[in-house]
Amino acid sequence: MNTLANSAAVAPPGRVRMLRKRYFPTPLQGVVSVVSAGLLLLISWKLLDWAFLSAVFGAEGSAAECRAAGGACWSVIANRWRIIFFGLYPHAEQWRSALACVAVVAMIVLSCVPSFWRPWRLAAVWIIGTAVYYILMKGGILGLRYVGEEQWGGLALTLFIFVATCLIGFPLSIVLALLRRSELPVISRGTGLLIDAVRSLPLLAILFAFAVVVPFMLPGWMQTGKLYRVVFGAGLFFAAYQAEIIRGGLQGVPRGQEEAAMALGIGYWHRVGKILLPQAMRNALPATINQFVIGFKETSLVIVVGFFEILASGNAAYGTGEWTFAYREVYAFIALIYFVFTYSLSRYGAYLERRMAISSR
Amino acid sequence: MADTHPANVPAVQINGMNKFYGHFHALKNIQLTVHRGEKVVVCGPSGSGKSTMIRCINRLEEHNSGQITVLGTELNDDVASIDGIRREVGMVFQHFNLFPHMTVLENCVLAPMLVRKTPRAQAEAAAMRYLEKVRIPEQAQKYPGQLSGGQQQRVAIARSLCMEPEILLFDEPTSALDPEMISEVLDVMVHLATEGRTMICVTHEMGFARRVADRVIFMDAGEIVEEAPPETFFQSPSSERTKQFLSQVLGH
Repeated sequence: MNTLANSAAVAPPGRVRMLRKRYFPTPLQGVVSVVSAGLLLLISWKLLDWAFLSAVFGAEGSAAECRAAGGACWSVIANRWRIIFFGLYPHAEQWRSALACVAVVAMIVLSCVPSFWRPWRLAAVWIIGTAVYYILMKGGILGLRYVGEEQWGGLALTLFIFVATCLIGFPLSIVLALLRRSELPVISRGTGLLIDAVRSLPLLAILFAFAVVVPFMLPGWMQTGKLYRVVFGAGLFFAAYQAEIIRGGLQGVPRGQEEAAMALGIGYWHRVGKILLPQAMRNALPATINQFVIGFKETSLVIVVGFFEILASGNAAYGTGEWTFAYREVYAFIALIYFVFTYSLSRYGAYLERRMAISSR
Repeated sequence: MADTHPANVPAVQINGMNKFYGHFHALKNIQLTVHRGEKVVVCGPSGSGKSTMIRCINRLEEHNSGQITVLGTELNDDVASIDGIRREVGMVFQHFNLFPHMTVLENCVLAPMLVRKTPRAQAEAAAMRYLEKVRIPEQAQKYPGQLSGGQQQRVAIARSLCMEPEILLFDEPTSALDPEMISEVLDVMVHLATEGRTMICVTHEMGFARRVADRVIFMDAGEIVEEAPPETFFQSPSSERTKQFLSQVLGH
């Protein structure tokens, strides 16, 4: 047949043939492809025009100028970024809040580096990181002015709540998962009940309870600041979900693994630490990263108990005076910040999966 | 001659041991003494309780009544004595149970370093010695998932040997292997049998039993039906059930 000869003579290059096969296999699908591509181009062009071409940049741009230009008004960010990042933190001391953010990010990055995965190194990183953050933010020593927790805000507060939630929630989730596997029914069922109870409540209710109700139930010497109670509530909520994820991971480890370790005379804590948990965490990794991403985004709920984390600070950034029209720009900017953190987490999860896959071929 | 002399204490002594799963009577009044250095092969149809019996010896299963004494220490709920016995009793499993997230070498040095507190250099030297004994030293840096079944089982044997156990238990070590890999594992086991260690092997490899065993034990329905030296066992078994089993195993 001459089609055969034809295709041999004027065979299109591989890439073109591939494109045709993917996007134009039938006339109808070809039409769908063209329409979709057109829509995509149109939206991209509109976005590009809004965000860059007709946009006003720089702190000098006034609100009136922005309205005239018709595009995005990035001047609001240039003028109000301090509120978004630092909330109500005293203006003259905001360098401390910025440094505290750097300390927390450094702490997160270092704990993600495999060569820091030794108990004492992780402990050192966390203790030093937390201490630096706390001293910088709260002050009252080393000649730093005292700034109470009620004045903390913005990105610095969001990062604090996220990291503290994880530092409380993650170890607690491991403990809960192990208790849930206990051979003593009282312990395993009791733990199961606690996990189910916490999971059955909305996070909002838990935050309210820890902010408002718990102070009535605690003796005086256990009274702490509202922020710490709320963070503990968030940590408990995180732990309840993460405990079930880890339990699922543990169930995926064959029974023979523990038996082999037992037969070698390896004791319970080493069996858990060296044999079971490393394999369980590998099984549970995708769900765990998911949980961390959700945890990061859920920090915004503390607004309901009166804390001005980054989203609430953003509301304040456009909510006063001349910038009320520029809420889109503020939200886009905050979305970008969220994206940077959560996308990094996702990529780190993907890196961990690749790294672990090497040893499980 | 004091009977506390190690050589006079039997490796394993089981007295009137019973084991139930719910209402199912899995092991019935087991009576067994294995002397030090003895090689015992346990065989029998599947479900006869052979695996359960040897798993009771290092308490991977708990017995419900009777007595098990290993190297003079009775097995009871005392966790310290259980751990002490497990240090002296190695076990090789049907499904190898190597730790997949560790290299072959790490598999071998883990228990000596954690349990016996052996320094790493010394533990690695010993591990390499045993890996050579099972003829697989060149695989030390690989992960278990990169090895064949036969290689994995030989690593599992080396891992047990690294704890220098007095007694080695084998729980159907060749049942999960492809036919062409069975002999490489059996060769290693035959070689080990010449070294004076006590060995208790649950296996269907009757050729191995004939070559190596000092005594063959036949179990059926949770009972020890017959025990005899291999030549007697294979040539003139006394029980009908043994005869039937042997005709099924050797019949083709």
